[in-house]
Amino acid sequence: MNQLSNPVEVMGIDAGGTMTDTFFVRADGEFVVGKAQSNINESQAVLESSTDALAHWGRSVEDVFPEMVTCVFSGTAMLNRVVGRKGLRTGLIVSKGFEDFHRMGRAIQSYLGYAFEDRIHLNTHRYDQPLVEIKDTRGVTERIDSQGNVVIPVRLHEAREAARELIEQGCKAIVISLLSSYLNGKHERDVRDVCLEVAREKGVDIPVFASVDYYPVRKESHRTNTTVLEAYAAEPSRATLGTLSDSLKDCGASFDLRVMASHGGTISWKAKELARSLVSGPIGGVIGAKFLGERLGYENIACSDIGGTSFDMALITKNNFAMHQDGDMARLVLSLPLVSMDTIGAGAGSFVRIDPYTNSIKLGPDSAGYRVGTCWPDGGVDTVSVTDCHIILGYLNPDNFLGGILNLDVERARQSIKTQIADPLGLSVEDAASGVIELLDLSLRQHLRAMITGKGYSPRDFVCFSYGGGGPVHAYGYTKGLGFKETIVPAWAAGFSAFGCATADFEYRYDKSVDIGITHESGEAEVEAAVGTLQAAWNELREKVLEEFRINGFTDDEVTLTPGYRMQYLGQLNDLEIDSPLAALSSADDWNELVQAFDDTYARVYASAARSPELGFGITGAILRGSVETKKPNIPEEPDAGPTPAPEASLGSRPFYYEKKWVEAKLYKMELLKPGNEIKGPAVIESDATTFVVPPGFETFLDVNRLFHLIER
Amino acid sequence: MTIMKNITDGNAVGSLLKSGLSLNDHRNLILQRTKETGFYDGRKNLELKESDPIAYERIFSKLRAGLVSSREVAKKIAASPIVEQEGELCFTLYNVAGDCIATSTGIIIHVGTMGAAIKYMIQNNWEANPGINPGDMFTNNDCQIGNVHPCDIATIVPIFHDDTLVGWVGGVTHVIDVGAVGPGSMSNGQIQRFGDGVQITCRKTGVNDTPLRDWLHESQRNVRTPKYWILDEKTRIAGCHMIRDLVEETIREEGVEAYEQFAMEVVEDGRRGLTSRIKSMTIPGTYKTVAFVDVPYSHEDVAVPSPFAKVDTIMHAPCEITVKPDATWRLDFEGCSRWGWHTYNANPVAFTSGIWVMMTQTLVPTERINDGARYATEFRLPKGTWTNPDDRRTAHADAWHFLVSSWSSLWRGISRSYFGRGYLEEVNAGNSNPCNWLQGGGINQEGEIHAVNSFETAACGTGACAVKDGLNHAAAIWNPEGDMGDIEIWELAEPLLYMGRTIKTNSGGYGKYRGGLGFETLRMVWGSADWTMFFMGNGYMNSDWGLMGGYPSATGYRFEAHETGLLDRIRDGMSLPQGKDLNPDMPEFEKHISPSAKVKRDKQCITTEAIFENGDLYLNYLRGGPGFGDPLDRDPKAVEEDLNQNFLLPSYAEKVYGVSAMRDEDGHWEVDLKETEIRRKVIRQARVAAGVPVRDWMEQERVKILDHDASVQVKQMFASSFALSPKFLAEFKSFWDLPDHWQLLEESLGIPMFGAKHHMDISELPDVHPVIMTEQ
Repeated sequence: MNQLSNPVEVMGIDAGGTMTDTFFVRADGEFVVGKAQSNINESQAVLESSTDALAHWGRSVEDVFPEMVTCVFSGTAMLNRVVGRKGLRTGLIVSKGFEDFHRMGRAIQSYLGYAFEDRIHLNTHRYDQPLVEIKDTRGVTERIDSQGNVVIPVRLHEAREAARELIEQGCKAIVISLLSSYLNGKHERDVRDVCLEVAREKGVDIPVFASVDYYPVRKESHRTNTTVLEAYAAEPSRATLGTLSDSLKDCGASFDLRVMASHGGTISWKAKELARSLVSGPIGGVIGAKFLGERLGYENIACSDIGGTSFDMALITKNNFAMHQDGDMARLVLSLPLVSMDTIGAGAGSFVRIDPYTNSIKLGPDSAGYRVGTCWPDGGVDTVSVTDCHIILGYLNPDNFLGGILNLDVERARQSIKTQIADPLGLSVEDAASGVIELLDLSLRQHLRAMITGKGYSPRDFVCFSYGGGGPVHAYGYTKGLGFKETIVPAWAAGFSAFGCATADFEYRYDKSVDIGITHESGEAEVEAAVGTLQAAWNELREKVLEEFRINGFTDDEVTLTPGYRMQYLGQLNDLEIDSPLAALSSADDWNELVQAFDDTYARVYASAARSPELGFGITGAILRGSVETKKPNIPEEPDAGPTPAPEASLGSRPFYYEKKWVEAKLYKMELLKPGNEIKGPAVIESDATTFVVPPGFETFLDVNRLFHLIER
Repeated sequence: MTIMKNITDGNAVGSLLKSGLSLNDHRNLILQRTKETGFYDGRKNLELKESDPIAYERIFSKLRAGLVSSREVAKKIAASPIVEQEGELCFTLYNVAGDCIATSTGIIIHVGTMGAAIKYMIQNNWEANPGINPGDMFTNNDCQIGNVHPCDIATIVPIFHDDTLVGWVGGVTHVIDVGAVGPGSMSNGQIQRFGDGVQITCRKTGVNDTPLRDWLHESQRNVRTPKYWILDEKTRIAGCHMIRDLVEETIREEGVEAYEQFAMEVVEDGRRGLTSRIKSMTIPGTYKTVAFVDVPYSHEDVAVPSPFAKVDTIMHAPCEITVKPDATWRLDFEGCSRWGWHTYNANPVAFTSGIWVMMTQTLVPTERINDGARYATEFRLPKGTWTNPDDRRTAHADAWHFLVSSWSSLWRGISRSYFGRGYLEEVNAGNSNPCNWLQGGGINQEGEIHAVNSFETAACGTGACAVKDGLNHAAAIWNPEGDMGDIEIWELAEPLLYMGRTIKTNSGGYGKYRGGLGFETLRMVWGSADWTMFFMGNGYMNSDWGLMGGYPSATGYRFEAHETGLLDRIRDGMSLPQGKDLNPDMPEFEKHISPSAKVKRDKQCITTEAIFENGDLYLNYLRGGPGFGDPLDRDPKAVEEDLNQNFLLPSYAEKVYGVSAMRDEDGHWEVDLKETEIRRKVIRQARVAAGVPVRDWMEQERVKILDHDASVQVKQMFASSFALSPKFLAEFKSFWDLPDHWQLLEESLGIPMFGAKHHMDISELPDVHPVIMTEQ
């Protein structure tokens, strides 16, 4: 195929703190990856990285950008701005008497993200600085109760005074978050209008964010943090993304830049709720797995992504991922719907120590990170890491670690393991190192299984996707014996997240809290009213979703809308998110269908005995997702070359320690294996960015889509 | 006797264990081997751990991860914010003898309370009647068995392998109401067990994994909040069953022998784990501490059913911590005051188990805590004291009032040891007394019978450290993972509209490093039909003290207002009480309610149910933590920051910290370092001038003692301690050099002595064999 019939169509950008990666996909599914050092000027880094990538095809940015149809950005700049508290100075208006609640945070924020032992170790707890300082916070007299009734009417003269003071003392944005506004937004909107009026009078142009216009959901600390982030962190990012979009256009691009968002879709950089793009990195892989599953016919997928410091897991069931309603990020409770992921702080680079109190192996919670382990003397690490264990046991190639850019000292690693781990336990170096790996894999396996069974499923119903730099090394270990249908390792495992971002839908999702309760005593009229309330909420959200797409030039009929709701047994504090079995509600009869869908899900998640229909049913939230078709990357498809690898794919062999004995593992170059090739363990398949381990008792084959299938014999 | 078996489902003696031993004989042999060797079950060597450390870790890691994840899943079933938001639930796995192997996160005091219930069933031959079979469930909340207070309901499920008992799993939740005389989970007003709420004594409440209908019907009508009760029980059962599945699977994978061996060795391993921590963190020797807290019951707002309870008393908790050369330790509560006619009595298990809630926050912050820690600790809880009542009538609904007060002093004691070893970061000046407990009930905004217990108290200020301030509004001594929850969630559960939630100025104890500040929430009763509330906390006395010159936190006080006219004031757009009660000495709220409002603003922080109408006010003040070090050593810039954050009243910057600061027109404070230096010098000189030699001061005090010159409450407290402990009396007399004939008798004080001399212990009931695990 020539360039005309095989254009470059899709671009993914992953702008990290140190490196900016770009990922280009051609119509035939072939892809290239580019790297450049990140820069304060993000546009420059993206262009440099693109130039690097496209050089593989001998093409230039100016040449390629005009033919591209879509581009998805994900980056850490916004998150870094939050973590470093370098956001826009924001003023906050709250209900009077509650000026402290934002800086008080929730006590949970003093240990969010801690490992268990620090969570209970009180003296380690600490609060981060609040996003908005108390001196930039004002109260306005008003109160709405828990049923949405006005108790104290809003006193707008106080709002006027508050807005004036905040603007005069230099706030660059104003956020309004009043209690129970999610039930009745009138006070917030009145205050918002007053603020806009004051800004106009003073001749300043500052954004004003009322929480009800953005995240009208219950729990004021989550809602306020999230709305503050819109002002504090997302507005500056919007400016950066606008600049990036302009510079792409200058190079001939005609596509609209999209950003990966926490709910698993991509949104425009012009989107109102841009704070949703605060968290995007690890989600990419889940989206990519869902996409592959849809194309290749896997509807239930357990996603597992192991990097140097953490293990991220997510479930795709019937081609859908679960959502988490009140996630947290950067030690802040948020009301962003997040693709539900479980993360544990154990990774391929976790430190290994003997706990002095119990003389037992302790993994993490910290990790060697980019410093690898004791095997890399220049890294300056003296504590054994999991990588050290892999190096001395022949799992990783010391001469080709990260493509050979680091000089590793295997003997130093051996010595460290001996003195720090093996001797204290009375084990040989090999048994100690393989014990470490066994325990790490067990721990990952336990968590993976708990995630699946905790949601009422069995691993038997799932294929497991393993990706990330460390995934293929550990895949056999953390899936062993769990009974997955299959374990699949994409040949591009290391770049899977960037790939995933490029596959994401253009999708907006809006949520709204509602309060609906129906018991056995409720009459037909009440049920009808309940159905009406939910439909009204969907209608309201529909307007918001369509408005977002209109900003990007889509007409309403191009948008596919998917309604959902959150339901519970009446009185519970938790609820389950359910995709509505009905597209629209019209009568009381529809209620039963909503209930049935919930009841079935509940029984699966918490066991039948936990069902409590006798309490009645409540709906706590309305959800509406809207999406439009986008261009997705093609999946590579190559002809079957038969079971035997080509001779040039073989890299010889090396000793490999497994289950208390040394064996000789065959080595292969991943890029040179062809579809159809079958490999029996012990074998190690290497590429620059990852290593795929196939131990004795396992075998693998590469399919026509360049996915490795790992099979436990 | 097939017929007997059908009637009771009892087991033939010895049929539950492969060894053919009865459960009681099995347990007694373990205790005997432990006693003889000093190692749990005589396990001098940890054979499994030493021969196959990886397999050992594999089992531990699997069980522990399963306990944690089962708790996470199960808690989502609950409706109660106490369980779901505050995490007041815990699952624990036990070996056959009822000793804890591993526990989930959560309130780990229940490691011991559920273990005590299992041991009680073992010792009282539950295997013969009512029988212990696969699929059974037992429920317990009996305080005379070891429960801390009746609102902690435990579900206990036996685990079998091939018809042989291999262990037990227990789940506990803190329910919102337990049917006591007053509403709320930790109510007061009742003074005996018979009003303390429903008490269930290890009752078989389910068979074949199904709760029995008679139990469901009976239990639901015995509490005010059946909806929460039902879902809490489902939460406990679901979690227990998940954990039972996990154990069965572990046995399939590792073999039953390995599992059973692990289940014994891990307890010994836990014992060693504690001693190695003691060894590395503390200094051998004897540490003496003491704690007090007030029980102000003569006040008119404390309504109790019996006249003999209408007395003001003080809890006395002297404690001697002895760290032994072999790194085990002994905690001796000789000299504690007598139990009383109130709901703050504790039983020995509440102590021996509860203490780990605190110790895991500081000495042993590890997931590996289990009953081994208890085997490394000798407790002495003298019979007849509030720590070990000798009367079966005692009430326990808020045992925490006394427990937290005495633990605060333990934390101070152990912090001295950390300080001595140089672990300055571990020092904590004792943490706060987590209260107030806002409780009440009636008919709520939904028209239902309701009860509330606000757990905002889970986020009090913490004690100062030796290198940094305590943390503001952060934790409770019984839960390091504290949280105050969202207002919008509490308002769903309570007919109480928030009128403010603010950091409590001045509430942290002053010091070089100040205690963490508490917070306060002002609530207006709203939407209720009939409603009562009451206060529960310390008011006249501090139970946290401060350390090495640091001050205690601010004392408690109550504010409530009735006939406020607030609804009219709202309508008329008048000023309203909102947010902070900035300076209780210069009350502000009263300026914004009707001048004819009935206001109660005093130090009476324990009350019983009072009627609240819509529009009435209640201030929930959550306490701060104690300080560390001399306030004059505090960095003046830190004082400046406190002023700018509105954490400190300006007059105290001057009075206590000796800091001179000025406020500019923008309201920003700035310290004058030079002035401050001079001021501090003056204060130090004044201190020297006011000081007297200790010898002289003691002589003045001795005269008072000889004259019995003390308040009647103080005299009652000491008299009750003296009556129970000749040893304490002798020490007291020797310390103060009192003549032999000196004595202080309760009889001389002119207050009711009902219950002081005549008691009947639970052990005197027929066929009852209490489990005793401490010296007494």
